[in-house]
Amino acid sequence: MDGDDTAALEFDGLFKRFGDHVAVDHIDLIVPAGSFFGLVGPNGAGKTSSLSMAVGLLRPDGGTVRIFGHDVWADPVTAKSLIGVLPDGLALPDRLTGREILRFLGLLRGLPRDVVEQRAGELLTVLELDGAQTTPVADYSTGMKKKITLATALLHSPRLLLLDEPFEAVDPVSAATIRTILQRFVAAGGSVIFSSHVMALVERLCDHLAVLAAGKVVASGSLDEVRGAQSLEDAFVGIVGARTDGAEGLSWLAS
Amino acid sequence: MVGVLIEMRAATMRRQTTGKYALGVLLLALFVMLLAAGTLAAGLRHYHYAGAGANVVATLCFGWLVGWVSGPLVTGDNAGLRMDYFKLLPVPARKLGYAMLGAAFADVSLAFSLVAFASLIALGAQSGVAAALVGAVAMLLDLILAVVTAQVAIAVFGPVISSRRGRDLTAMLLALVITLLSLASSLVPFVAARLTDGHSPVLSGVVRILPSGWGAVAVDAASRSDWGLTAACLAGLAALILILVLSWPRLLARRLTMSPGGARRRTSARHRALTPAAILPATPLGAVTGRELRLYARSVLRSMMLMISFLVAVAVGLIGVFSGKTVGLPFSGLLFTLIAAACFTNCYGDDGTALWLTLVVPGAARVDVRGRVLAWFLVVGPAGLLLTVVLTAISGQTWAWPWVLAAEPAMVIGCPGLLAAIGAWSVNGPAPDGGPSPARVLKTHAALIVVPAVVLFPAAALLIPGAIGHSLLLRWLAVPVAIAWAVFLGRRSTRAAVRRLEARGPEIFSAVRAAAP
Repeated sequence: MDGDDTAALEFDGLFKRFGDHVAVDHIDLIVPAGSFFGLVGPNGAGKTSSLSMAVGLLRPDGGTVRIFGHDVWADPVTAKSLIGVLPDGLALPDRLTGREILRFLGLLRGLPRDVVEQRAGELLTVLELDGAQTTPVADYSTGMKKKITLATALLHSPRLLLLDEPFEAVDPVSAATIRTILQRFVAAGGSVIFSSHVMALVERLCDHLAVLAAGKVVASGSLDEVRGAQSLEDAFVGIVGARTDGAEGLSWLAS
Repeated sequence: MVGVLIEMRAATMRRQTTGKYALGVLLLALFVMLLAAGTLAAGLRHYHYAGAGANVVATLCFGWLVGWVSGPLVTGDNAGLRMDYFKLLPVPARKLGYAMLGAAFADVSLAFSLVAFASLIALGAQSGVAAALVGAVAMLLDLILAVVTAQVAIAVFGPVISSRRGRDLTAMLLALVITLLSLASSLVPFVAARLTDGHSPVLSGVVRILPSGWGAVAVDAASRSDWGLTAACLAGLAALILILVLSWPRLLARRLTMSPGGARRRTSARHRALTPAAILPATPLGAVTGRELRLYARSVLRSMMLMISFLVAVAVGLIGVFSGKTVGLPFSGLLFTLIAAACFTNCYGDDGTALWLTLVVPGAARVDVRGRVLAWFLVVGPAGLLLTVVLTAISGQTWAWPWVLAAEPAMVIGCPGLLAAIGAWSVNGPAPDGGPSPARVLKTHAALIVVPAVVLFPAAALLIPGAIGHSLLLRWLAVPVAIAWAVFLGRRSTRAAVRRLEARGPEIFSAVRAAAP
């Protein structure tokens, strides 16, 4: 069931409602194994809700999510052992240092202590957090918090990474490091799905993507299938039907 | 510019006094008005000892000045006009400084202080018109001093109190002061007696020599026609105000060019020193227990709750001892355990959205609950048992042994699982301002009754009839029965908490996330 032809992630009729608001409206989506998959869409399109349902943080009202064929909600232990997660805007036990969080998570996942220590050390060095070994996460900058969360996602060597806005608030040098790590991960057979607002980044990294708008998938496929002959940014604006004027009023500005 | 700042301040205050906060503000205003009226009444009263009135008024003025300085430090400098708003304005620091100082006088709380400081006029009026006039001048000077000192304090301590460490420190200090004040209120009659009977020259000397006491000393001197001392005191107050006003623009300029975070990111040696990982086994349960133990040592909320539990429990026992009664002493340890239990009934709500880490790790719910149970047991258990045994032995209340040996171990064994279960079933996220929500406070208070009722009812069912019927056997039988029930309750409630977290983890997470500020 875990063969190469099995999708890394599969949404089947996924549905979520908050009161009267339908956040995710019967989404069907396949993220091929070994792909670098971008999830784009305007604010409130349902990206975070979809990813939260895929990792077991938000219970769907309908539909299924499968990770390498394992239903996240019917067989959570197997499904969760295959994924690494970077959520957006969630807390960490912030009175612990970065190394302590990694050590805690590694042991919680049942890794031997020496493996945890070795991997934690490497991750902290590669992500340039080794200078803050004794700093509690509460004193980290937003970018540093993003990086230590990415380290928690990578620590147990998952097969699929689900990353919600991984590049937001990260400085250009760190962003380049993260890009390299993710590209190496995909080249070695891993799969990545990440959400982003930065079209240039998606265009540069991803081989596949899906565009979400108002809780629905409005376009999906390979990068070239979705953007056609134009830039992804132009294609995105055309697909979601956004207005891009900003030209009316403000005549006094810089006059 | 002063006008604009006052308008802005008024708009901010209007926003802060609408809706559900209006009632709170009204109650606070009523309380402060009562304090002000009380201060005024202290100035009107006649005392037998000659300088007693000045002692009392000097002490109360000190209290008001401390209130002016500590108020903004406790609430942070974002109440009213926040200095950071003006950082980018093309206005010279001196002009901005004096404008802000002027705007600071447009403060409703000045009305309360006016009533309170009018006690100086009342004090003087007892000796004649001249002393009353001196009192009026001293009142105005004290008012100006209060406003100016508060502004200077914000400029000096603002960067510190805006930083996370500063807020942590302020929260700890505030909790400590409130706890100690509420406990020390029983000492007020004693202090008041010492101030008014003239037998404590040191105490009255201290309250008079502080700048807050100069106004009262001036009035006292005027009543004795000691005009030299009167003039010196009033001139001293005026000079102090002048010094503060002159230093203000310089302090403000320093404040405006500083990062609010204080930029003093120090790595704490504590984070290196405390490594229980070396002792705990390298297992998932050891990992969760290690995380919990570290958080008990480092989280402000957790250490504050432990500190309050300890202080209240010990102080309640000791206050009894001061009045010659040791009957309550054996139960201090039990009170500590009980308060520490009630405070930790919201484990998942208090930890916030960090719960995602547990939910994305397969099978982690079980060890998460068990680690929390074990950590509370390790933190509270030994301290509670030690307090109980030592204080019962010291008290000499031998009749209390079966009572405390039944109740304390039962609480230590039975509570941790029960707390995890309550925390998994009832999740209270923080209030919009980041503090504990009213529902969470209510739960803590309810737990003070419900938790001991559930854990201790089998013990009580034997102890009370044993005491009434003078049966030593029944009373000692309560010890094994209480422990057996606690073991049963602890295991069952731990299992229930695990089942709850496994089945409803995402819903618990959603509840916490919805409340996250």
